[in-house]
Amino acid sequence: MRDIIRMIVVLTLIGAASGLTLSVIHRVTAGPIEYQTIKFVKEPAVKKVLSGYDNDPILDREKITVGTDPRGNPIELTVFPAKKGGQTFAVAVEGTGKGFHGAIGVMVGISKEGVILDIGITSHSETPGIGSRVTGVEYTDRYKGLPAKKGVTVDAISGATYSSKGVVAAVNEAVSTVATFREEIF
Amino acid sequence: MAATLREEFTKGFWRTIPPFRLVLGLCPTLAVTTSGINGLGMGLATTFVLVFSNLFVSLLRRFIPTQVRIASFIVIIASFVVIVELVMQAYFYPLFKILGIFIPLIVVNCIILGRAEAFASKNGPVLSLADGLGIGLGFTLSLFVLGLIRELLGAGTLLEIPVMWASFAPFAFMLKPPGAFVALGILLAFMNLISQIQARKG
Repeated sequence: MRDIIRMIVVLTLIGAASGLTLSVIHRVTAGPIEYQTIKFVKEPAVKKVLSGYDNDPILDREKITVGTDPRGNPIELTVFPAKKGGQTFAVAVEGTGKGFHGAIGVMVGISKEGVILDIGITSHSETPGIGSRVTGVEYTDRYKGLPAKKGVTVDAISGATYSSKGVVAAVNEAVSTVATFREEIF
Repeated sequence: MAATLREEFTKGFWRTIPPFRLVLGLCPTLAVTTSGINGLGMGLATTFVLVFSNLFVSLLRRFIPTQVRIASFIVIIASFVVIVELVMQAYFYPLFKILGIFIPLIVVNCIILGRAEAFASKNGPVLSLADGLGIGLGFTLSLFVLGLIRELLGAGTLLEIPVMWASFAPFAFMLKPPGAFVALGILLAFMNLISQIQARKG
């Protein structure tokens, strides 16, 4: 009996100490991790979809609250503004859509006049060589210059219909976010 | 004391160098050594976990009941692996992306649990530190050398600097999994040859 209690106490103590340490480390690294993800995942996409700005869209990023989750916590979305002379003339916003293998993240550049400037895929796990063709410029260029209104659509890539649908859904999500929060963004 | 300390530290470099002499920890050895830098990064991450898990297992060895020692060791090891993962993600993001799934898999690297069970749970903290550091650096060295060889033959570069002559056509095969086995086999054969020559002289 004493042995069993000792085992339980020791394992509990080790587990608790481990949990405490990890939660502290998690807190300390949360900021740098967010920065690194933005720098290495979002920045290339932001640079691709925006052009002609004189500010740093990454540094000037803003968080807007786009709603609340079932628990009542605010859902935040990061907006990357492109400014010239202090005036925001376009933004890059990320949307997600369901592809063939999970979510596809798409950064969409939208001008103040309501035109899609360009799109860039930030994250996907589509089949290499098939669904992954949606990341190529031949496909993403199809979105250039389309009006940023509800129901954006382009021709899908044959053989990669689901991946194409995922990108379309993601673009529409970003477009509708910008339409809804126009006042806050520009 | 000083002699054993040196002995425990240096045994990991040749006599029991993990992937070659013990043929342990082959999963990361074969999977991530597509370049020198990747091998070095993986080796150092493993060394960090090994050193600290050895230290803590050794410090807690009288406190942990033998029946639950494996579970306790795994909790200690897993904690340090998560620390490595978070720190790498926060400060070495590109390397973290390349090593990916193999960072969390350090938990099941049998070298680490092996050292905890076979050495750290029976020896004091100083000797365990020396053992962990020695074996860890030996592992790092192995991965680094293997990575360099595969990078040189597979891509024609050393640490991302082109070193081969202009008309050199890289063996892309060396960067694929079968290439890893071939490179490992050649290195093992070479090490055995040196050992044989040494034995004949001695």
